[in-house]
Amino acid sequence: MTKLTTALSAALALLLLASPSRADETCLSPYMAKIVGQEDFVYVWTLGIEGLGDGQDKLVTIDVRPDSKTYGKVIQTLSVGGRNEAHHSGLTDDRRYLWAGGIDTSKIFVFDIHTDPAKPRLDSTIDDFVDKSGGVVGPHTFYALPGRMMITGLSNNRDHGGKSALVEYTNSGTYIATHWVPTEGVGADGYNYDVRVQPRLNAMLTSSFTGWTNYMMDFGKMFADPQAMAAWGNSMVLWDLHSRKPKKTFSVPGAPLEVRWAWGPTHDWAFTSTALTSKLWLVHLDADGEWNASEVADIGDPSKIPLPVDISIAADDTRLWVDTFMDGTARLFDISDPKKPVQIYSKKIGSQVNMVSQSWDGKRVYFSTSLIANWDKKGDENDQFVKLYHWNGKKLDHEWTVDFIAEKLGRAHQMRFGSYALFGSPDATSESEAVAAR
Amino acid sequence: MPLAGRRVRALLVGAALVAVADPAPALAHGPAKGPVQAPVAGRLDFVPPAPGSYALPALGLAADGEVIDVESGAERLHALYGDRLVLLSFIYTHCADAEGCPLSMAVMRQVGAQLEADPGLSSRARLVTLSFDPVRDTPEVMREFGRRIRNVDADWRFATTASPDAVAPILDAYDQSVQLEHDAHGEPTGQLAHVLRVFLIDAQKRVRNVYSSSFLHAEVMANDLRTLLMEADADVAAPRPDEAEARARADLLALARRPPLGLPPLPWPADGGLTTDRIDLGRKLFFDRRLSLNGTQSCAMCHIPEQGFTNHEIATAVGIEGRTVRRNSPTLLNVGYAKRLFHDARESRLEQQIWGPLLASNEMGNPSVGAVIDKLAGLADYAGLFEAAFDGRGPGMETLGQALASYQRGLLAGDSPFDRWYFADEADALGESARRGFALFTGRARCAACHSVSRERALFTDDGLHNTGLGYRRSMESPPPVQRVRIAPGRYVDVAREIVASVSEPRPADLGRYEITQDPDDRWKYKTPSLRNVALTAPYMHDGSLATLRDVVDFYVGGGVSNETLDPLVTPLDLTDAQAQDLVAFLEALTSPGVEALVRDARTAPIGDPR
Repeated sequence: MTKLTTALSAALALLLLASPSRADETCLSPYMAKIVGQEDFVYVWTLGIEGLGDGQDKLVTIDVRPDSKTYGKVIQTLSVGGRNEAHHSGLTDDRRYLWAGGIDTSKIFVFDIHTDPAKPRLDSTIDDFVDKSGGVVGPHTFYALPGRMMITGLSNNRDHGGKSALVEYTNSGTYIATHWVPTEGVGADGYNYDVRVQPRLNAMLTSSFTGWTNYMMDFGKMFADPQAMAAWGNSMVLWDLHSRKPKKTFSVPGAPLEVRWAWGPTHDWAFTSTALTSKLWLVHLDADGEWNASEVADIGDPSKIPLPVDISIAADDTRLWVDTFMDGTARLFDISDPKKPVQIYSKKIGSQVNMVSQSWDGKRVYFSTSLIANWDKKGDENDQFVKLYHWNGKKLDHEWTVDFIAEKLGRAHQMRFGSYALFGSPDATSESEAVAAR
Repeated sequence: MPLAGRRVRALLVGAALVAVADPAPALAHGPAKGPVQAPVAGRLDFVPPAPGSYALPALGLAADGEVIDVESGAERLHALYGDRLVLLSFIYTHCADAEGCPLSMAVMRQVGAQLEADPGLSSRARLVTLSFDPVRDTPEVMREFGRRIRNVDADWRFATTASPDAVAPILDAYDQSVQLEHDAHGEPTGQLAHVLRVFLIDAQKRVRNVYSSSFLHAEVMANDLRTLLMEADADVAAPRPDEAEARARADLLALARRPPLGLPPLPWPADGGLTTDRIDLGRKLFFDRRLSLNGTQSCAMCHIPEQGFTNHEIATAVGIEGRTVRRNSPTLLNVGYAKRLFHDARESRLEQQIWGPLLASNEMGNPSVGAVIDKLAGLADYAGLFEAAFDGRGPGMETLGQALASYQRGLLAGDSPFDRWYFADEADALGESARRGFALFTGRARCAACHSVSRERALFTDDGLHNTGLGYRRSMESPPPVQRVRIAPGRYVDVAREIVASVSEPRPADLGRYEITQDPDDRWKYKTPSLRNVALTAPYMHDGSLATLRDVVDFYVGGGVSNETLDPLVTPLDLTDAQAQDLVAFLEALTSPGVEALVRDARTAPIGDPR
C-alpha cells in the first residue's frame, strides 16, 4: 500500500490546520507543526558513559502522558553504537524525523518518530558529514527550514579549532551547501554554535562557542590552560536568510550560545546568553533599521562563572528560563521589557543542570543535566537525570525524576517532544492537541 | 480514551474555492492573521537580495511521474516542465485553510504577474500546479480552476493525476506528506493536512529551492527565477583544483637529499630509503582521521601544519573522546634528525614511534595493530598505494611506519636568518640584538650546553634528557586557592578551587624519563628539544606551561625549580632585561622561510574522513 493510500485510510489524523501559535516547543523552527496541548513523549538524546550499562549513545523515550501506566517512565531506549558526544537534536519541518548529532564523531542519526511516536526507529545514519561538508566537524544545531535542515558545525577537520560553518542538507539526507562563518571584519572570529531564523525579517542569527579541542577536553584542564581559554568565540553573526550571506558581525564577548527569537509579530529581537561572561544579550532591530547587540543583564554572579547554558523563551515573550550549569539552578527572568530583564525566580534543580524545555503553555518544564561528557561534574556531583516540574506561575513543583545513572542510561542531554496527535495515529490514547503552525 | 474526549483546536477558514477565486486582492492587503510571523502574500518587511547576488545550490533531481496536463494532455511531469525554469506547487482545490493552498495560489498569481511584466523571464519560466486530490480534482475541475485563477499572459499549467495511487509516488519523491483530517468526533472533514510546499526547479530538472508558508514571497521567488536565468547565461570556467595542488606540492625528496642550509645530512633510512611514492603515501596517511578508532584523530590534528606542526591552542594534547594527554605536542619540523623520540625518549625510530599514538587509548585509540592494518586494507582510496610504494608489499606494521616516517623525514626547515649569518657569512642576515643574543646563548646564558651548535651544523639539541624542575613542580604543587580564568579578551575572573575541582579529573602523574628506566635519578627528566623554528611552536616545555619565548627565558634566568635531581646546568642567570630580549631575538631568528612551503605542501593532501 502506498504512503498516500495509507494516509487516506488512516483512522485518525489530528494534524489540524490552525492559526500558528507560539511557544520548546518555543525553541523550534517557527513554521513547523507544534504540540500545543499535552505532549505524549519526551525524546532524550543521551550520551553513553563508559562502564555504565551498554556504554553507548542512545535515544531514550520517556512516556509523559499523565494518564498512562508508564507516566514518567522510560519506555524505550535505542542504542546507536559508540560514544559520539551526543549533543543536540532537531526535527524536520514536517516533524516526521528527529536528527540527532554527535559533536565528536560528527555522525548524524536520523530517527523516524512518526511511524510510531512511542517507539522511535533509527531510519538512517549520516557518517560522512565531515567529508561532504568540506571539513566541518561537530554538527550541533539541527534547525528546520522548508524541506531542509540547517546544521551548525562547531569545529573543522584542519585543526579542531573553533572556525566552522553552517551546513545544509535536504530532509532526505542529501548534502546541499556549506556556508563558512566569516573571519574577516571587525569582531569576526569564524566561530559557530547555534542558529535560529526570523523569516519575517529575512534574518538568520548565529552564535559562537569553541572548537573540538576545547569542548572535548576535561573542563578543569581547560580552565587552567590560558591558550585553550583564548580559543573561544566572542561573536554573533546576522545573515541574510535568503542569500545565506553574512550581513553584520556583533562583538558579544564570552561565548554567546543559544539563540531565541521573540515570537510577537512586532518583536524584532532575539536573546542569547554568554556562557563565560554570564550575561543576557539582546540582538535587536532599531527604529533606524539598524541591527544592534546589547548586553542587558547579568546572570547570577558572573565572578563565580555560573555558566548559563540553555535558555527557553515563553510563548508570550514575557519570560525567559535560564539554566546555570555550575550551581544547577534554573532562573526565570521577566523580559517584558527585553532591554531590562529582571530575575524573578530561581530554583536549584540538581548539582548540575543543562537543558530546559517547556511545553507550549509553559505549564510543564523539563530539565536535563549533561553539558558535555568531559565537562560534567565528577564523582558524586555527577547528577544525570530528566526532571519534570509543573510551573504554576509562581513556583516550580517537582513531578517526577528519571535517574539516568540508576537506570544505566548515561548522560541526559537534549529533550524533544513527541505526540501521537501530530501523525494521527490510531493508537493515540492521550488527550492531545496539535496544530500545524506553518 | 474515547475520541470525543480529545481536546482539539481547529481553525478552519472559509471555503476554498471562494478564497482562491480572486485570492490576490483578499490577501494582498489584509494583515497577517493572529501571530503569524511571515507577511506571506502581503507586503515584504525586507529588501530581498538582488538576483544573481547569491547561489541556489541544487537539492537533488526533481522527480518525474505520470500526470495529466489538463490543457496539453502531457502525460509526464518532466514533459510538463519542458526546458523551462519551473515553480511547482502542490494543492487541492477543496483546501479551506487560508494559509494553505489559497495562499500558495495567491503567491503564484503574484509571481505570474511578475512574469507577465518581464517577457525575458516569462519566456523561460513556467508555473505548474499539481493536485494531490485526484478523486475530487478531476481534469475538468482542474481545467476550470486554472481558467479562473491563472494570469492571462503567464505560462501556467494545471495538472492532476489519474488516481491516489498515481500521485502517491510523486508526493513521496517530493517529500510532500498528506493526511486525511478528522474532526473532534473522528469524522473526515474533507480537508487534507499537508505542509505547504512550492518547488523551484531548473532547466536541468534539479530542485533549487523549497518554499513554505513563511518563505513564500512572490518577489523573492521571482528573484530566484532571475538568479537561475543569470546562472544559466553565465559561462563560468570550471576551477582546476588539480593544477593548484600540483603547484603547491613541494619536492620533499629533493629536500631530504640536500637539506637546507644549517642542517646536516639527513640520516637515511634502511629498507629502501626514501622515495616520492612513500612520501606521498605518508602525507596522505598523516592527514587521515580514519586512522583513529572513531575517525576523529589523525596525526595532523595534534601536529597542525599552520601551527608549526604542533598545536598553539592547547598546552597538552587532547586525544580520542577528549581524553587527556599529559604532554605538549612536539613539532615535527626536522624530526628526521631526532635520535630519540617522545619527551621521555622512549622510542628510537620514527618507523616504530607511530605505533605509540596509534595504539594509545588516550590518543588515536586503536585496539590493535591488526585493526589498523585491516582498516587500511579496506579503504578504497588506498588500493594499490602501499604496493606501489613498497615493491608489492601491502599495508603492514612495517610499511605503515615507513610511509609515515618518510613524510616526516621530508619536513626539513633550515636556512633561517641565523643560518645565513652563521653558515653563509651573510653579515646582514642577522640583526644586532639577535647577534648579542647568540653570544649570550653560547656564552654566559649557557643555553648551548644542551641546545648544541657547532661550526658545521646546528640542531640545537644534545638529544639528552634534563630535569629543569618544571616536572617536579607539577608533581609536587598543590592547586591554587583560586584559578585565574580568561572569560573573554582582556577579562579574567578568579574562580574558587572548589568550583574548578568539581569539573576536573585528577591530574595524571608525570615523572618523565623515570617512567621508562625506573631509576629515581631520572625523575622529571625530559628530552632537549631542537630550537629551530621555536618561534612557531608555542606554547613551550614538555607540558606547554610557558606561553612565550620570553616566559621560557625568564624561567631559566630564575634557575628553574629547585629539587633533588635538578640538572646542575640549570642555575640562576644574571641577565638584564635587555639581554633577555636579545636571547628572544636570537630565538626568533631561527625561523625558516621554507616552513610556508611545507605548510602548502601539507595541504595538498586530502583530509581523510569517514565517507
